[in-house]
Amino acid sequence: MRQYAFFLGCIAPNRYPGCEAAAIKTSAKLGIELLPLEGAGCCPAPGAFGAIDLKVWYALAARNLVLAEQMNMDITLICNGCYKSIWEVNHILKHNDELRDGVNEVLAEVDMEFKGSIDVWHLIELYYDEKICGVDKVRASVTHPLTGTRIAPHYGCHLLKPKKERHFGDTENPMWFEELIDALGAESVQYRNKMQCCGAGGGVRGYDLTHSLDITNEKLLNIQEVGADALTEFCPFCQLQYDRGQVEIEEKFGQTYNLPVLHYNELLGLAQGMTPQELALDLHAVDCKPFLEKIL
Amino acid sequence: MAKVKDYGNAELEEKLRDTAYYADDANPQFLEDVKKISRTAANMCFQCGTCTGSCPSAPRSSYRIRLFMRKGVLGLEKEALYDPDLWLCTTCYSCTDRCPRDLAPTDVIMAMRNLAFKIDIVPRNFLKTVQLIYTTGHGVPNNDVNRAAREKLGLPADPPTTHSHPEFIPGIQKIMDFYKMKENADRILAEGEQ
Amino acid sequence: MAETKEEPRIGVFICHCGTNIAGSLSIEDVKEYAETLDGVVVADEYQYMCSTPGQTKIIDAIKEHNLNGIVVAACSPRLHEPTFRTATEEGGLNKFRFEMANIRDQNSWVHMHDWDGATDKAKDQVRIAVAKARMLEDLEPKSVPVEHSALVLGGGVGGMQAALDLAGAGIKTYLIEKSPSIGGRMSQLDKTFPTLDCSQCILTPKMVDVGRHPNIELYTYTEVENVEGYIGNFTITLRKKARGVLDPTEAAARGFVGGGCNGCGDCSEVCPVIKPNSFEMGMAPRKAIYIYHPQVMPLQYTIDFDSCVKCGLCVEACGEKKAIDLEAVDTFEQVRVGTCILAIGYDYIPIEEKREWGYKQFDNVITGLEFERLICASGPTGGHLIRPSDGQTPMKVGFVLCAGSRDNTGGVNKPYCSRFCCMYSLKHAHQIMEKIPGAVPYIFYMDIRSFGKMYEEFYYRIQNEGAKFIRGRVANILEDPTTKNLMVYTEDTLLGRPVAMEMDMVVLAAAVQPKPEAEKIRQMFGVSKSQDGWLLEAHPKLNPCGTTTAGIYLAGVCQGPKDIPDTVAQAEGAASAASIPIHTGEVQLEPYFAQCVEEICAGCGMCVNQCPYGALALVEKNGRTVMEVTEAKCKGCGTCGGFCPGGAIRMQHFTSPQICAQIDAFLLEGGEQ
Repeated sequence: MRQYAFFLGCIAPNRYPGCEAAAIKTSAKLGIELLPLEGAGCCPAPGAFGAIDLKVWYALAARNLVLAEQMNMDITLICNGCYKSIWEVNHILKHNDELRDGVNEVLAEVDMEFKGSIDVWHLIELYYDEKICGVDKVRASVTHPLTGTRIAPHYGCHLLKPKKERHFGDTENPMWFEELIDALGAESVQYRNKMQCCGAGGGVRGYDLTHSLDITNEKLLNIQEVGADALTEFCPFCQLQYDRGQVEIEEKFGQTYNLPVLHYNELLGLAQGMTPQELALDLHAVDCKPFLEKIL
Repeated sequence: MAKVKDYGNAELEEKLRDTAYYADDANPQFLEDVKKISRTAANMCFQCGTCTGSCPSAPRSSYRIRLFMRKGVLGLEKEALYDPDLWLCTTCYSCTDRCPRDLAPTDVIMAMRNLAFKIDIVPRNFLKTVQLIYTTGHGVPNNDVNRAAREKLGLPADPPTTHSHPEFIPGIQKIMDFYKMKENADRILAEGEQ
Repeated sequence: MAETKEEPRIGVFICHCGTNIAGSLSIEDVKEYAETLDGVVVADEYQYMCSTPGQTKIIDAIKEHNLNGIVVAACSPRLHEPTFRTATEEGGLNKFRFEMANIRDQNSWVHMHDWDGATDKAKDQVRIAVAKARMLEDLEPKSVPVEHSALVLGGGVGGMQAALDLAGAGIKTYLIEKSPSIGGRMSQLDKTFPTLDCSQCILTPKMVDVGRHPNIELYTYTEVENVEGYIGNFTITLRKKARGVLDPTEAAARGFVGGGCNGCGDCSEVCPVIKPNSFEMGMAPRKAIYIYHPQVMPLQYTIDFDSCVKCGLCVEACGEKKAIDLEAVDTFEQVRVGTCILAIGYDYIPIEEKREWGYKQFDNVITGLEFERLICASGPTGGHLIRPSDGQTPMKVGFVLCAGSRDNTGGVNKPYCSRFCCMYSLKHAHQIMEKIPGAVPYIFYMDIRSFGKMYEEFYYRIQNEGAKFIRGRVANILEDPTTKNLMVYTEDTLLGRPVAMEMDMVVLAAAVQPKPEAEKIRQMFGVSKSQDGWLLEAHPKLNPCGTTTAGIYLAGVCQGPKDIPDTVAQAEGAASAASIPIHTGEVQLEPYFAQCVEEICAGCGMCVNQCPYGALALVEKNGRTVMEVTEAKCKGCGTCGGFCPGGAIRMQHFTSPQICAQIDAFLLEGGEQ
């Protein structure tokens, strides 16, 4: 079993705990053991926090990284936003002496030192990586295939972009998430402008909700155009925007989609036989029943 | 320097205000600050428009990332930092992904937001997040409904984060205090409420 | 030659080079210092030593002070060594009694903010140069005859023009083209800007001339295998690729009188193998035995042996002409030429790697060259512009300018401007409006670079004809899966509004880059490449057709993107430059040759294999075995001189005593004399 320190972030443990439970259980079936990272906090939210003072953003992210360094263990996480904070700050501080020295000056105040000794991985890339798991292994772990369902993929933004500073290849029309969806027995569907942002990031959801919802609405319209039973992503913040967002969109724009939104770990959990109760799907704002009826 | 029109009529003076760009309208330090904080060569923008062409916020607002780059290059600090559109960027990074000059317009926006905060310009929702992180360690803290749900799932009511280990919160606070972030956030929130 | 035994009488001349040198170090200090050096009789300085008054100072000083050695401290010898050598000679000395100290490129230009440091360094440089000047000797350059023939590599319009000019000047010219026909990119074009001439119509007369010219030996389907030699005396091995088809001469040589390929095409009719025709950018088929198009020069079929299944049907169809030889193999031929011109052209970058624009993902996104073939009456659609997805006529066509050019993000992208794409996109817009009434071209641009003669007027004309111009670089393109229409996303930066425009078809003005074989070719000919990847000219302003390798010249896009007028102009320039050594009949080689000091030579022969140019050999002389240098082949590289264990090899103009004197001067004699 490969062990990773599991960085939880905020939205997953505090709003969609099913994602956390699913991640732990499904990863175990794939040879990945997720261990608690004690004392971690907010990544901190790159959009909200970075907007105020990037220096604090570097420092607080580094604090989280040091906790894992102290465990001598790589971090894995299940959120694109956390990926940006944790992976990117790790990467920047490893290569920029001036910024690293500045951060360590602050961390010294709390008896910590960033050494750059660990790596950070999004759980979805560990699943896709043949050296660690791979699509075939994911497929082999499926006991309750999601046959007959059409699922729209949402990649989000901070994992893949900008491509010059990431290692996930093409950002215009990648297909690797679809492979992981298909491996669950579902049918991934293509829709117009699938790579567009959900609209939540950069603090915009909090600053101008209707503006962010209009962006979300465009995506929902595009998905509705091709017809899907669910939308899946690997970012709880996108999940919040699409899930709560549909309720807000109905209220403010009068548009209804009834499109269940599930994090990939929740889908994987279902495909591996976890129950909706074990995934706390009842916490979702958009009722998942129509989707569950198709697979159960 | 913009010519002052002394017509004795505030309305007319505003209507006919000199809007020409004069050389001393430029604050060169603004561009330097933006370049330093964003860590990108913002002065090299040649206004091709790829960024705005990629932007999800542009078609539904007056937000133009290309114009913010232009204001950075021309040193138009006030116009950039006081523009409410500065806060409409979702940081999707599509512009940065496609910029042919290899720049990071998203990071320019973040740098400008940092500079705006320094002169007390920041939307209140950001400051609320600061306070939540300061007091709980989380930007989106746990609540009782969620605690109950977690227990039903067989997870501990609070995750193993600062919620279960509040002894780590002073450390976070110390870091934030080093940069006077909480102090400034509180002050701006209080002033706003007056 | 013996070391000079006369007392050195050196003149040192220091150049200000305007403020290039004088602005960064003290000329006066260096001059005063030079006067203190042993052997220096006179030191002088001047604003521009390379000017007539400057050179006159040298000439006059030689006479007035009875000098026997000249040192000029100035710019790079690459620039003005010949100038000052001539002045030395005009003053009455052997021109190799001259040494140059580069106190500009190697000093003032890199130490612009260190006055004292630069001045001290200049003093060192002068001291070192004087140390060598004290030991210089008379040398005679060696003249070698120049072959009265030239080689042009590349049969596009550039290569063809160069070959015609050389041949017209009475020089036998070998024109080598790797594809089965000459014509190159220009024959793929429909019309040429700004005149809107039919490209093939204006090119064909040149192609015919090339084919007919008594002084041009045309080798098509041939590549250069190896290059040996030096200016005036290149030996080039050509690989004549197996064509599988005999021309009338070749057929006659085999006894098939009246036989050989006459271009009838009967073979192609029966050939069962179909492949994409690269001349048509892959949009039309050809057979394994093929010609690109009916106007090829020579009119001779070619077999693509990689695809041929050797069924023999073509042999049957050819019948009595017996023009087909399925057992053909590559053959080799050597030619000797005096000078060479490289005119090897360009390719597109692999624009499919710019995923945001959908080339090779979306059917209706094509490149500029593909557009040319579609709009060309002799192309795959007979000149009807149609959408690849459904054959419909597009009414809204988008042009993406600067696709991969002016892009600093690395990878396949190019930081430079590809120069001719603005103009051909304007041309394409015109052709659409002319051929498809009601069709509207949309040109998405950052700038319109219409720089040439009548080019701005052409831009005016196209705008007047109704083309729409949107100033914004295309961010990305998405395809409607049902209609296969394309949604083009950009910003109209002049309006300040994001733009989402649905197009029926999109043409990418993709960036251009050197051909893949350019790397191998340039290494064979000894040509460098510039920072941007194109072949390096001798000087971008003053010598754009030459290279730093004597006898090799450049023409056309291989030296950097340019349009047809500039290609033809450069080809004519290259031909003129390439003809000079040939017409002079001889070329002077710098006398930096190795010399065998026979008295000490042990005849061990170890140096012979060291020489990279094969210039050394062991010979019998007066009963002893000693080494002998073939001066014409010797480049003075010094490998043998440094290697000889007995010290029996002397490198003229760079002798060991001279070099040691320079080292000693630098290390041991620093400080005021």
